[in-house]
Amino acid sequence: MDSADVVVIGAGVSGLSSAYFLAKAGRDVVVVDKGIVGNEASGRNGGMVSERVDEPALIPLAVEATRTWETLADELGHPTEFVQQGRLQVAVTEEEMGALFAERDNALRHGLHAEMVDPGEIRDLIPGITERTLGGLFFAKGGHANTQLAVQAFAWAFQDLGGRLYQNTAVTGFQVSGDRVTSVETTAGPIAADMVVAAAGPQTGLMAGLVGVHIPVAPARVEILATAPLEPLFPLALVGNGLYGHQAVRGNLLFGGGAHEWTDVDLTTEPGKPNTPLIRSIARRLAELLPDLADVPVIRSWAGVVEQAPDYMPIIDILENPSNYVVVTASAHGFGISPATGKVVSDLVLYGETNIDIGGLGLGRFANVKPNWRHQRGWTPAPNRS
Amino acid sequence: MESKPLLVVGAGVAGTAAAIEAARAGVRVTLVDENPIDYSMMRLDVPQFFGRRAADPLPDRDLLLERVVASNDDLAEAEAAGVEVRLGTCVWGAFRNSATSRVLDGPQLGLADAERSWMIKYDRLIVAAGARDLAMSFPGSGMAGVMGANGAHALMSRYQALTSRRMVVLGSGDLGLATAGMAQDCGVEVAAVVDVASSARGDEALVSRLQGAGVELYTSHTVKEAVGSAGEIESVVLVEIDDDCEPVAGTEKVVAADTVCLAIGLVPNVELLGLLGCDLAFQSDLGGWVPDRDDRVRTSVESVFVAGDVAGFHDGMVQDAEIARSQGRLAGLAAAESLGAIAEAEALARSDELQPTAYDAIPADVLSGWRRWHRSLVNAGGMNVFVCQCEAVTRAEVIGLQPPRFLEWESQQAGRRGLRAQSGDEPVNADRVKRLTRAGMGHCQGRLCREQVSLLLADESGADIAEIPCMSYRPPVRPLPLRIMWPHDEPEQVRQEWPKWFSPTHRVLG
Ligand SMILES: Cc1cc2nc3c(=O)[nH]c(=O)nc-3n(C[C@H](O)[C@H](O)[C@H](O)COP(=O)(O)OP(=O)(O)OC[C@H]3O[C@@H](n4cnc5c(N)ncnc54)[C@H](O)[C@@H]3O)c2cc1C
Ligand SMILES: Cc1cc2nc3c(=O)[nH]c(=O)nc-3n(C[C@H](O)[C@H](O)[C@H](O)COP(=O)(O)OP(=O)(O)OC[C@H]3O[C@@H](n4cnc5c(N)ncnc54)[C@H](O)[C@@H]3O)c2cc1C
Repeated sequence: MDSADVVVIGAGVSGLSSAYFLAKAGRDVVVVDKGIVGNEASGRNGGMVSERVDEPALIPLAVEATRTWETLADELGHPTEFVQQGRLQVAVTEEEMGALFAERDNALRHGLHAEMVDPGEIRDLIPGITERTLGGLFFAKGGHANTQLAVQAFAWAFQDLGGRLYQNTAVTGFQVSGDRVTSVETTAGPIAADMVVAAAGPQTGLMAGLVGVHIPVAPARVEILATAPLEPLFPLALVGNGLYGHQAVRGNLLFGGGAHEWTDVDLTTEPGKPNTPLIRSIARRLAELLPDLADVPVIRSWAGVVEQAPDYMPIIDILENPSNYVVVTASAHGFGISPATGKVVSDLVLYGETNIDIGGLGLGRFANVKPNWRHQRGWTPAPNRS
Repeated sequence: MESKPLLVVGAGVAGTAAAIEAARAGVRVTLVDENPIDYSMMRLDVPQFFGRRAADPLPDRDLLLERVVASNDDLAEAEAAGVEVRLGTCVWGAFRNSATSRVLDGPQLGLADAERSWMIKYDRLIVAAGARDLAMSFPGSGMAGVMGANGAHALMSRYQALTSRRMVVLGSGDLGLATAGMAQDCGVEVAAVVDVASSARGDEALVSRLQGAGVELYTSHTVKEAVGSAGEIESVVLVEIDDDCEPVAGTEKVVAADTVCLAIGLVPNVELLGLLGCDLAFQSDLGGWVPDRDDRVRTSVESVFVAGDVAGFHDGMVQDAEIARSQGRLAGLAAAESLGAIAEAEALARSDELQPTAYDAIPADVLSGWRRWHRSLVNAGGMNVFVCQCEAVTRAEVIGLQPPRFLEWESQQAGRRGLRAQSGDEPVNADRVKRLTRAGMGHCQGRLCREQVSLLLADESGADIAEIPCMSYRPPVRPLPLRIMWPHDEPEQVRQEWPKWFSPTHRVLG
């Protein structure tokens, strides 16, 4: 039988970062994915990297991640297009202004660098931004990267270290003996494993279900669009008017936002990721935010399915039983924090603990979450009326 | 929101025939076509390969509209039959519910004219979107003057705005011969017709007519390069090839021309069908990726029908518009029947009469022709030729899965991966090539490089092109300015309920 020290399920950015750091530590690792590298949320997201001050429990991880991004491409040997020229959040309503002040205070309390900027300064940072801008909050450490290149960089770096990557191979079950998983069943046959890392994105809940553990993860579909390339306008990551996004190094504006749609996924097939007319509302908000650019053509839109826990926070923990099973899922924060996610998971696999504070990210917090929590929340798919 | 019983996309021969047939059966039909389109689109080679040989500025819009109408005799008949005809209107999106998207209260299309966009619902949809040019690169093919047969045809017949003076046509099938003949009729001097095949592939009578008019026929030849200055092509260098598609040294010929017209093949415009989730399959006898359809041109999606070039193109359709017309009528009948406008028995009886013409196919194998052209161009031009003009990605960069050159990436590991690497474990997937190299990510939305990327992947990996997943389609299928995509009809509620990224205060869509 095929075997490995660690089998990682999912060639998204969480799984591949974990696999990379494990391989770097000398472990024999196999990564298994039902599709190809980064074909799900990891290769479809907005590429925003930040210190996540709106989620205090994430700060230690996000700070570590931001630091790691700075040298990540050189370490991996493959480009990530990481640009660290800051993150600017702008307010166009008084209510949003209030929220920015609160977020600034919160950031300072957590020892992060954050400063308020006035409309004049904002116009210097983002030429042509709407006159409706009332003010902004600037984080010097924020930035953005190219999601598709970055996730592939992790994959190639992992392979460069001798890691094995099985694409187009789905995990279908586990063999468990006593309190341990002994092997992972895949469409290409079983793989014996000492440790398992389930980094299956929106399928992580189903994956845990296969070993009888309930982990609350709800899948949701979200949308984003890209314009034709433009001359360099602004290098920073921008949040405002209901959108988040940036100008890619090539020059395209990539902006997303708006309502998400709760959905269901199944274990082994690729979930559909259609767009909806929501992209018109995204286009409108981008034209409102950058009115001088209203003539720029949109050339593409796409969607991704993300994972979401009841408290919108990632989950990183070792199961009690089976005890050699680590779960990692990101609650739609996963790209920016991915370099730290991998370090933490690697620590958990190697040592059973990590010195990065992930206190708020364990499974214990779901002790009171009922199996029907999605229904209670209304986080279930709309009835099918096609 | 507007709602229509039957929408027909594309007012070519097929779509117009479909609209007439359904209208005569008592269905209220709306027929939509993007022509006349703006010069700003033509300049981007959208939706056809115009090669910057459209008059700039184009004649004014009213005149163009007249010409577009005049270029299709059947349109007047459609209007007489009560069809609502909307020209200058593109369909940029098609949306319908599926397992992971249930927000719509019915299938919808996104439409746009030069001013604004809007959504429209339908009960039945006939997609008669035609085909686009199969593009292939050679050194210099990014210059103005390299264009496609469908682009040339549109500029000649619909717009009367082709600026070419001296043309070399690539492809000696009926497509190439008809293009050459039509160009001559429009006063363009046709210098040569070129083919990699050892004899002309198309209608002999057309060949003799062209040769009689002084057109050189170069068989067993390919293009080595196009030469020009200031971004404008001035001549093309042809070279003879042997049985293995290798260029024969010393056989180069320089032909002066301001236009090279690619007439190697047309590729069905399946983008809307892709968005709708219709099953598509690569069929060499039908010109590439085509929708699965039954003999009444119904697709795998119940409410969607196809007709004309979009349902599959072969050379025989160039000369004989009756094939597309019959398919259009089949679609009109099938849609009318499914709307309950005519009885099944009647629809079947009339379909039976049409089917022989509709499927009067010449057995074709476009793939071997594509491959021969492609190999010869690779052999004669080398690997450092741009496959994707928009994003400046070469063949070598596609095969090597190279990061975009503007990154100027260097490292010990750089260049070790790729489809030729020892490891040999890279998935053969054109979408992935796009994401890593940017080939196909540009403003022409992949129209000029899709097939070339697949051909390169197939050649390098030995995979059957039909097994390489079709590059995905996404809205908008036409580049659409933000201000036009802007939903003027957006309810105020959307703003009130616009969520922040999964913030706890958000509301759920739907
Ligand atoms: C439009 C959009 C914008 C976003 N913007 C941002 C942003 O700006 N910044 C940010 O930090 N985050 C953002 N996110 C969220 C981020 O993309 C995700 O949190 C992150 O990619 C999750 O990575 P992952 O590796 O955990 O999961 P995934 O990327 O979902 O990977 C999971 C993998 O597991 C595989 N898998 C599932 N089931 C099986 C099985 N049975 N067998 C084998 N393999 C299986 C899947 O095929 C998949 O490849 C955004 C997401 C989207 C969609
Ligand atoms: C060189 C050459 C010579 C030809 N000679 C003749 C001839 O003599 N007689 C003849 O009848 N035909 C001729 N044709 C056309 C040929 O016969 C076609 O195969 C046939 O007309 C099929 O037409 P169709 O309706 O399928 O597609 P088309 O005629 O291509 O019509 C499709 C229409 O749909 C529109 N469309 C596509 N997508 C969209 C969208 N998303 N939104 C809005 N509109 C859209 C297109 O712009 C186009 O107007 C010639 C073609 C060429 C290239």
